[in-house]
Amino acid sequence: MKHNRIHQQFLELIHRHQSIIHKICFIYAKNSSDREDLQQEIILQLWKSYSSFKGDAAFSTWMYRVALNTAINQTRRPGLLVDSTSTSDVPYDPSDSYHLSEEIQILYRAISRLKKIEKAIILLWLEERSYEEIAASIGITVKNVSVKLVRAKEKLAEIITKLQ
Amino acid sequence: MDLEHMKTAWKKEKSFEDKRLTEADIKAFLHKKSRDISRLFSVGLTFDIAYKGIIGISFLGILILFSGNRHIILMIAVILLGLIWAIIYQWRLIRRVPGTGASDPVIRTSLENKVLFYHEHYIKSLYVGALSNSLIILSGMLYYFYFKYGEVRAFQWDDYLVFVAAIVIGFFVSAIVQRSQFNFQIKQLESCLQEIDEDTITSQTIREQQNKKRRMIGIFLLAIICGLLVLAYLIFR
Repeated sequence: MKHNRIHQQFLELIHRHQSIIHKICFIYAKNSSDREDLQQEIILQLWKSYSSFKGDAAFSTWMYRVALNTAINQTRRPGLLVDSTSTSDVPYDPSDSYHLSEEIQILYRAISRLKKIEKAIILLWLEERSYEEIAASIGITVKNVSVKLVRAKEKLAEIITKLQ
Repeated sequence: MDLEHMKTAWKKEKSFEDKRLTEADIKAFLHKKSRDISRLFSVGLTFDIAYKGIIGISFLGILILFSGNRHIILMIAVILLGLIWAIIYQWRLIRRVPGTGASDPVIRTSLENKVLFYHEHYIKSLYVGALSNSLIILSGMLYYFYFKYGEVRAFQWDDYLVFVAAIVIGFFVSAIVQRSQFNFQIKQLESCLQEIDEDTITSQTIREQQNKKRRMIGIFLLAIICGLLVLAYLIFR
């Protein structure tokens, strides 16, 4: 009975905050099947960790941390083990899934060229998370966050300029 | 380039707020299986424990068939003890597999735990797992001898060569294939860790990594050459 209540509560919370999952998948997935796999993996990891969520931080903050951690820990398998019927060779066009403004489409193309940790830092910056929060999520110092953020923003600006 | 303008556009973007996933979709995801590398570690270990169990049963069968042969009984007793040790070792290792899920995860810690577990424990376990293939070849040969000749016949020197080559190749093919598959995935995690440490990485660390890479390539080439030599001998003798 208690388990059912927790399960239902979890479903409602994820349903309400699902934009976090969409944003992370938008940034980390390389193709449509990848996006679905990542969505699934994030939801599974959120459920696995949910019992230990104490509520000290806001649910969205906790969800960001678990989801980003899952996305960064996601690994591609060697070629021979990849399902040959998957659409991994088809370039991912986010406009298939999202009705995006032109600016966001350019931003997506630029972010997709960043490295995994740079993507995380840029995403958290776009979401207006504090330096302390970014540092705690990644496991680096606040000073290091500011150095990395400056570099990632410079790189992003450079890519966007080339794309425009 | 005005990134602040892009940031404002990002905040205003409504498409992300669409409720694409229904509660039923989310519920369905919970019934699927994780593809996380931690689960691959656990599944690999569980599968090998079951495999070793089957091999143990097959050796018990040989023990019954060759009950009059003291040498075979002694050899099987050693193998069964080895199998029991391997099963206990792998069973204990399953409980040490680091998970991605944590109440308050830190990306660096999560990556470090997995990379460390792989290098310190899982590689050893891959070799323990590869022994299963050698043992299954050995048990197959013993069954073959029993049903064909009713005994283990005296070997010529080239019989030993074929026999040992099959067992060694069975071991190395399994170990090398599995190791290269996991290395492929672990390297992706290591590159994330390198990215995190990019500003603090020292030239000494880079040198150590390069030396390690060279050593690994050397070992891999040596294993391939040995395998090819044995294969060439078996084909052209």
